[in-house]
Amino acid sequence: MAAGTDIHMRYNDFDIYSEHAQLRRPLAWSFGLHVAFAAFVVFYAMFIHSVRSEGWGSGGGGDAMGATLVRSVPLPANPTETTNVLATESKGLSKSQPAVQEKEPEAIPIPDKNTKTKIKPPPVKTATQRKPEPEPPESNQIPYGEGGPVSGPYTMTAGGAKGGFGFTGSGGDFGTRFSWYVQAVQRKVTENWLKYEVDPRISEAKRVYLTFDIARDGHPSNVQIEQSSSVPSLDQSAVRALQRIDTFGPLPPDYSGSKVSVEFWFDYKR
Amino acid sequence: MSSLVGLIRRHLLIAVPLLFLLATVGFAQDWIRTGTGLGVERVRLAAADFKASTTDSMNTELLKTFNEVLWNDLDNAGIFDLVSKSFYPLQEPGQPSEVNFPAWNSPPPNTSMLAFGNLGAAAGKVTVQGWLYDVKNQASPQVLGKQYSDNATSDAVRVIAHRFADEIIFRLGGGIAGIAETKIYFVSERSGHKEIWVMDYDGANQQQITHLGSISLSPRISPDGSRLAFSSINKGGWEIMMYSFDLNRMVSFPRLGGMNFSPSWSPDGKIAFSSSRNGYPNIFVVDASGGNSRRLTNGQGPDISPAWNRKTGSQIAFVSGRSGLPQIYTMEADGADVQRLTDQGYAVDPNWSPNGQFLAFSWRRKYGPGEPGANDLYLMDVASKQFVQLTHDAGRNEYPCWSPDGRHIVFQSHRSGSDQIWTMLADGTNVKQLTFKGANTQPNWSWK
Repeated sequence: MAAGTDIHMRYNDFDIYSEHAQLRRPLAWSFGLHVAFAAFVVFYAMFIHSVRSEGWGSGGGGDAMGATLVRSVPLPANPTETTNVLATESKGLSKSQPAVQEKEPEAIPIPDKNTKTKIKPPPVKTATQRKPEPEPPESNQIPYGEGGPVSGPYTMTAGGAKGGFGFTGSGGDFGTRFSWYVQAVQRKVTENWLKYEVDPRISEAKRVYLTFDIARDGHPSNVQIEQSSSVPSLDQSAVRALQRIDTFGPLPPDYSGSKVSVEFWFDYKR
Repeated sequence: MSSLVGLIRRHLLIAVPLLFLLATVGFAQDWIRTGTGLGVERVRLAAADFKASTTDSMNTELLKTFNEVLWNDLDNAGIFDLVSKSFYPLQEPGQPSEVNFPAWNSPPPNTSMLAFGNLGAAAGKVTVQGWLYDVKNQASPQVLGKQYSDNATSDAVRVIAHRFADEIIFRLGGGIAGIAETKIYFVSERSGHKEIWVMDYDGANQQQITHLGSISLSPRISPDGSRLAFSSINKGGWEIMMYSFDLNRMVSFPRLGGMNFSPSWSPDGKIAFSSSRNGYPNIFVVDASGGNSRRLTNGQGPDISPAWNRKTGSQIAFVSGRSGLPQIYTMEADGADVQRLTDQGYAVDPNWSPNGQFLAFSWRRKYGPGEPGANDLYLMDVASKQFVQLTHDAGRNEYPCWSPDGRHIVFQSHRSGSDQIWTMLADGTNVKQLTFKGANTQPNWSWK
């Protein structure tokens, strides 16, 4: 009996249906651990950011999928040349395909009649043979890059968005507030980029990305190749463009920061 | 335990956003992401006529001068695509509150930038308020806001317009100061003798500086604008002369002996010139006071027309006839490392661009009787020796000289039938005649 009572008491001790008080401790633990985990994530991110001083998973200012104003939608790079057909007052955009000529099935050869036909040797391909000329573009098509300006905001910038998880501020609103300054930077770099410094044998190359800082007085510094085009002379010409520039002009007086960082890409196509 | 949970629970709502805020503020970094590849557009800029802010009777005339000068300065700058006034909305603003953004930032004007403001004369004084707005950016449109006041005269208003234009050009042109307040020195014969004259960069305000009554040539203004060196003939022959703008008179400069021509200032105030004191014309360098003379070239030359690299001061371009017809050469500032840049024809008048990258010069590439062509202006990239021709089929073009912003070139041309001073953008476009009276030659643009 004594043993029975003992067992009974033990059951009482572990009666999971008995009282709410039993739940409080595990819940508190659970909550505490969650908070601790959240704090860990926050501080880990801060730590990583301060060490690498750039965004998560990118070489850029790191950025969440931050919603920015529509005027600064970062346009994706056009990876390859496309024929950009713009609507104009035109002869029409579509072109009728040439009708496919169906071959008449060859008649069954009659051995007697075919004996005299000579078999022509296949045409010899020589190195000097001309390649077929590319088809001239339709007069109402504008090749990529040769169209006029797209009317709209000229910065493809501002709250940079290279993706990744992060919670730091966006790239800031510099590009939105001072798009005129961004444009001046763009113009100045372009003016100082001498394309004839690129190896003349290269007709097209991948984008090269540079990063640099612009100090309060407009002086560029810390020029680095973020992503090479794998054409050394193109990388070099881009760096030299920046080296030629003494100043972009002082940062806007309304801007409180001490410097702005720039990621600048160069598209080369001969 | 429960109290701790309660504490956390109570402060969690505050603590977490606070942490986020700290992280954001502490490491916020403004980034610009942009690039190039398709070339660049000029800034589309509209310059609305300024409005009268008072009822003074002088306003009409002052406004006319102001609007005209401002428009011309912006047009000459070479970095704007100025929107024609016929596209402007009927209601032009005189105050920020009057700017109707949609009317400006969409077609027909479809401008990015808008310069506007007001001008008012009162009691012999004039006050001008000017703004520059980025009208595509309605949230924070102001790029520039300025107020000027001065005496209510046409000249003062002209200066104010130049200053405002320069501010706009400085902001939108990537930190390069505008040239609206710069001067051009030149030689004019209109008084009967070849004397040194000066004018504003746009040809206005032409004034005579020297009254020597002999022949004065090659005016060269010092980098700080305080002194003018030139060569002039007197009893001893050709001498380097010096005029001081601080004293408004000629100041003494040592007689160097022999024939001395074509002075040229270095950025730190030394003077290079061509002198035949040792027999043949060679390049010499002296201090600004004329002392400490050093010879840089030797031989039978003749070596003339030195021009310093205006950026570094470490190189000198010059013209030499050592191989026959005159050609352009460069050397280090101590005379070492002489290199020939042109390989044929007749090349003279080198002038170094402010960024030290290009030489402008006058070149007759096929020289000889019956050969086609005349002296034309060329630019050469000194590092690569690639060159580009700037003038074509327009008479004789000589004595190119860069503007301080590196976007313009002033030169002497015979295209109108007589020698006159002209300007153009450094790509050869936008050619404008500055002088019309008499014969005007050898322009030299001030350093700032």
